[in-house]
Amino acid sequence: MAPMKRLVSIRPIPIASVSGKKIQAMIEFDNVSKRYPDSGEALSEVNFSLQRGELAFLTGHSGAGKTTLLRLIAALERPSRGDIFLEGTSIKGLQKRQIPFLRRKLGLIFQDYRLLNHLSVYDNVALPLEIMGHHPDDISRRVRAALDKVGLLKKEKRLPLALSGGEQQRVGIARAIVHKPPLILADEPTGNLDPDLAEEIMRMFRDFNDVGVTLLIASHDQQLVQRFSRRTLRLDHGKLTEGGLNDAEE
Amino acid sequence: MLKNSSSKGRPGLFRQPLSQKIRWSVRLKTYALAHLHSLQGSFLRIWETPIASSLTILVVAIALALPASFHALIQNARLPIEALQTTSQISLFLKPEITNEAARRLTEKLGGFPLILGTQLLTKEDGLRELIAYSGFADALSALHGNPLPAVILVRPRMTDAAAVTLMLNELRRLSEADHVQFDDEWLKKLRAVLAIAERCIAAFSILLGFGVVFIVGNTIRLELQSRREEIAVNKMLGATDHFIRRPFIHSGFWYAFLGALMAWLVANLLILGIQSPANELAELYGSPYRLAYLDLRGTALLMGSAIVLGIVGAIVVVNHFLKDLEPL
Repeated sequence: MAPMKRLVSIRPIPIASVSGKKIQAMIEFDNVSKRYPDSGEALSEVNFSLQRGELAFLTGHSGAGKTTLLRLIAALERPSRGDIFLEGTSIKGLQKRQIPFLRRKLGLIFQDYRLLNHLSVYDNVALPLEIMGHHPDDISRRVRAALDKVGLLKKEKRLPLALSGGEQQRVGIARAIVHKPPLILADEPTGNLDPDLAEEIMRMFRDFNDVGVTLLIASHDQQLVQRFSRRTLRLDHGKLTEGGLNDAEE
Repeated sequence: MLKNSSSKGRPGLFRQPLSQKIRWSVRLKTYALAHLHSLQGSFLRIWETPIASSLTILVVAIALALPASFHALIQNARLPIEALQTTSQISLFLKPEITNEAARRLTEKLGGFPLILGTQLLTKEDGLRELIAYSGFADALSALHGNPLPAVILVRPRMTDAAAVTLMLNELRRLSEADHVQFDDEWLKKLRAVLAIAERCIAAFSILLGFGVVFIVGNTIRLELQSRREEIAVNKMLGATDHFIRRPFIHSGFWYAFLGALMAWLVANLLILGIQSPANELAELYGSPYRLAYLDLRGTALLMGSAIVLGIVGAIVVVNHFLKDLEPL
């Protein structure tokens, strides 16, 4: 199924459209380096772009810079050199007060879920909408829709710690999609899950991709990544060694 | 999900506010609702940690009760002191050549003025008799030839303010019979000066204790921030603005200060209640109609208002510092 789907879901390259206007990529890394004061260079001169509607994997050994790369996109870290563009908007050029609004366009998923354990499943998923100032009625409708999508509608009153790991990750996913972001970034989303659950979560991501969401998924699980045969960006000691060029560019 | 097409070269999804389609009235209502919700939530958090919270509230209360009580006492001291002035009298010393008959006529004449409550004549003889009776210099005085004392008219003015007294003093000085006019208000001026110093001290104290309130509330909120660090980090990653993070803590600051001020108000008034009966007895002994008053509306408003401002300032300072530490998150 993969090749067919891929042709449909990946859009043509953005270099120049017929009208001469450049179509902007969802994510574009322009010579990005990130150096930490104590641990040296985490990323060096990374260049790549991810088109709207793409689903790509980010792989590499642990410490290769996968998490750093994702954190840079969400402006949780600032690049030491180079710049990142989200739909043509330079992250470097954003003012501090604009950053929260950038993050509201993203869905973030973490290996350790990062749920708030004192809040119910419902309240965890409602958090992004509360942050955005949605009306309670609107929140309840959207939260239920998101919980329904991950199959946890019946457990909305539970506390996260009363759920299994897979369920907790599904709560994390519901929280990441509840505000319908155009871009989802997942950092080792299946790292703590057994293979069956991992497969199930990956299928869920593919479903989101089918309705047009762009996803970048960091995973060190080679087998899982290969099974889904999508574009794969490989990091090795902070350098992008594979997948840097778009399929159509290659 | 991805309705915006990329064909127009528009600024991009990432620059548009997400909630632009929501009507402003709805947004305002939602915003007010969120504030109310947060205010309620902060109160519940205080309620759920009664021991830790009441410690903070108590310390705030003590810091505020001191200046509030002093203020109430000074405010109470002012009234009888001002009242003392109206019971003061003017001594009008007559020239030595004025006869007792002329003095008596002047006394009656002055007594008839509307601004004068009453007059009393002390003749030269009265004065000498009093001096012999009370001074203990009877022998020395009897050795004197003649009476060196002047006749005095004691004038009790009906006074409204200091300017009226000055005016009356000038009028009395202009009388041809007058040798010397004396209004004994020096001690009153001294008392007022002491009171003014006390007020200054209380003001300085209040400022110091006000800083205390900022630090107490700030420190409590700093601890709360530390225990909710993960929650704040998650909120920020989900796109919370600094304002959103600050909101519940500002409300906590408000509650600590408000509840502390309420307690301080109670303490100040209880203090007045405690000294009320002896103070009123004292006033009665002096024949004064004054009774101890509780903290007035102005004082109460000042106490509440300044406490709330200080609590909120403490919260804002600490949260801003914490958020700065959290950067670039």
